[in-house]
Amino acid sequence: MDSYDQVSLSSLIGPDRVHKDYYIDPEIFKLEIDRIFSKSWLLVGHESQVPNPGDYVTLTLLDQPMLMSRHRDGSIHVMFNRCSHRGARVCTKPSGKALRFECPYHGWAFHTNGNHAGVPYPERYADGFIKGGDFDLARPPKQELYRGFVFVAFDSEVCDLDSFLGPMRDHIDNMVDRSPLGELEAPAGMFRYRFAANWKIQLENLNDLYHPMFTHASTTAEDGTQFRRQGAEGDEAGKVKLLEKHSSLNMQWEEQVIAGHAHGHTYMQRFPMDRENQGPVYERYKRSMVDAYGGDAEAKMMVHHHNSIFFPHWSIQYMTQHIRIMNPISVDCTENIIIPLKLKGAPEEMWKSALRSNNNSHSPSGMVMADDMDAWVRCQEGMQANGHDWIVFARSVGEESIDNEGSFEGLGTSEANARHQHKAWLHYMCGTVQGV
Amino acid sequence: MIREIEAFIYREARLLDERRFEEWIELFAPEGYYWVPGAPDQEDPYQSVSIFFDDLPLLKTRIQRIRHPKIHSQEPPTRTCHLVSNIELAKGENIDDQIAVFSAQIMTEFRLDKQRSYSGRVRHLLRLTAEGNFEILWKRVDLINCDGLFETLTIPF
Repeated sequence: MDSYDQVSLSSLIGPDRVHKDYYIDPEIFKLEIDRIFSKSWLLVGHESQVPNPGDYVTLTLLDQPMLMSRHRDGSIHVMFNRCSHRGARVCTKPSGKALRFECPYHGWAFHTNGNHAGVPYPERYADGFIKGGDFDLARPPKQELYRGFVFVAFDSEVCDLDSFLGPMRDHIDNMVDRSPLGELEAPAGMFRYRFAANWKIQLENLNDLYHPMFTHASTTAEDGTQFRRQGAEGDEAGKVKLLEKHSSLNMQWEEQVIAGHAHGHTYMQRFPMDRENQGPVYERYKRSMVDAYGGDAEAKMMVHHHNSIFFPHWSIQYMTQHIRIMNPISVDCTENIIIPLKLKGAPEEMWKSALRSNNNSHSPSGMVMADDMDAWVRCQEGMQANGHDWIVFARSVGEESIDNEGSFEGLGTSEANARHQHKAWLHYMCGTVQGV
Repeated sequence: MIREIEAFIYREARLLDERRFEEWIELFAPEGYYWVPGAPDQEDPYQSVSIFFDDLPLLKTRIQRIRHPKIHSQEPPTRTCHLVSNIELAKGENIDDQIAVFSAQIMTEFRLDKQRSYSGRVRHLLRLTAEGNFEILWKRVDLINCDGLFETLTIPF
């Protein structure tokens, strides 16, 4: 198969459409791993998944077996889960606690920071063979921690995390600042599932306001309102009105801002029909926020966004409170990891409702996820068809405002979010990522 | 007694397989709930994520959704076969009118040329009503792959 050059890559991306090979060509997928995922900061998880010294979790990042642990000095370490001797996976449990890691094959041992701790019967190795850090567990070249979020990069040449996130850093802050203690926690584990569709189809969907009233019609009652997805039990909480009577579009969608920044990041404003929760639990939460932040409490409590996507690999969902890590497995398979987030120090009732909301909408049986995944798989299958070679993203083309920093802003059911991702994709693939 | 309980549990499975979901949720007590933990050895539903953790209002929402004319993810619908076996009455856990029942279950499902199977241990807490019927106070299904990789699920276990 011919490799793609800049001209053929550019020919896949039109101003209002992309070629189907963007989603279905395995050669493109291989290039994406090298040129996009390996050149980005990837989210490993949240540090509270390993709260105490010796705690570890095993995980998959892209297709790599990884290990995240907390060392006895409290530091977090992300390592490849591969023995430096014969290559065995060192840890296999999803999570556990260890004084040190010991490979079960020949007993090579490693400290919980990945440093080599020794080999059994070392006398049969040549003098000086086992030395220095040569046999430490390998680590990704870059690792950073930002407000509890653990990141790595697989390429040492990647720009620093701050430049990579740009204005999207505020989107992490907005989530963390909602906690009276300024900390998040991930105490409930995770959902893991796979679906038979290209990773970019999900990315285009997360901030797509054109789909909810169709894809999620089955989640609505007769008045067009969706089942309740937020607010503590006993409190009054906003419900999302997807449809007006007789299944017509609720025009409030068109007022909602969708926007994005350099590096392909996009986000969607909080639903305009949404409103602040009210009730005894929320009042208690307000008081704890005022105690913690005084006059800043109101600004910190504000939920600004619905979904924020950190291209190409993860997102924060603010209404149900979760991190979503999206691992590309193959050209037609994506793995989702959904990690519910607890606002540390907020009333326990709020956490319970957030957890239940995650169960109801984003578990493998989640009533929202099932609709989306079915649609994504249909796309992947349908795109195999001949006749039409292009996938169309022409809604409100050109109406979005774009600035010199690589940011854009559009409204409602415009498909500007997807067009923004397509442009970023082309920059990454052609090696011209700067500025996007 | 065990024969009557077996008959109740077999009928419950049949209602699900025959897509008689409205009749299935009628088996639950008003305060009843249905729980499928997302991690092994859970002591309460707020310790970890759950694949299902539905009280009666949520079960009703779920069934309304399955009946919605625009539920594209059930087009064509999932077919299921629940096989229930190894039914035992839990000794010592029964107070007054409540009966704890252990069973094992395999649910095989089929949709769009794909067949999948889910196995697990099931516990029911039943209550004998004044009319002499059973109702479900809770049903808990511990799947052997509860914390594994899933595809979408729609029909309860």
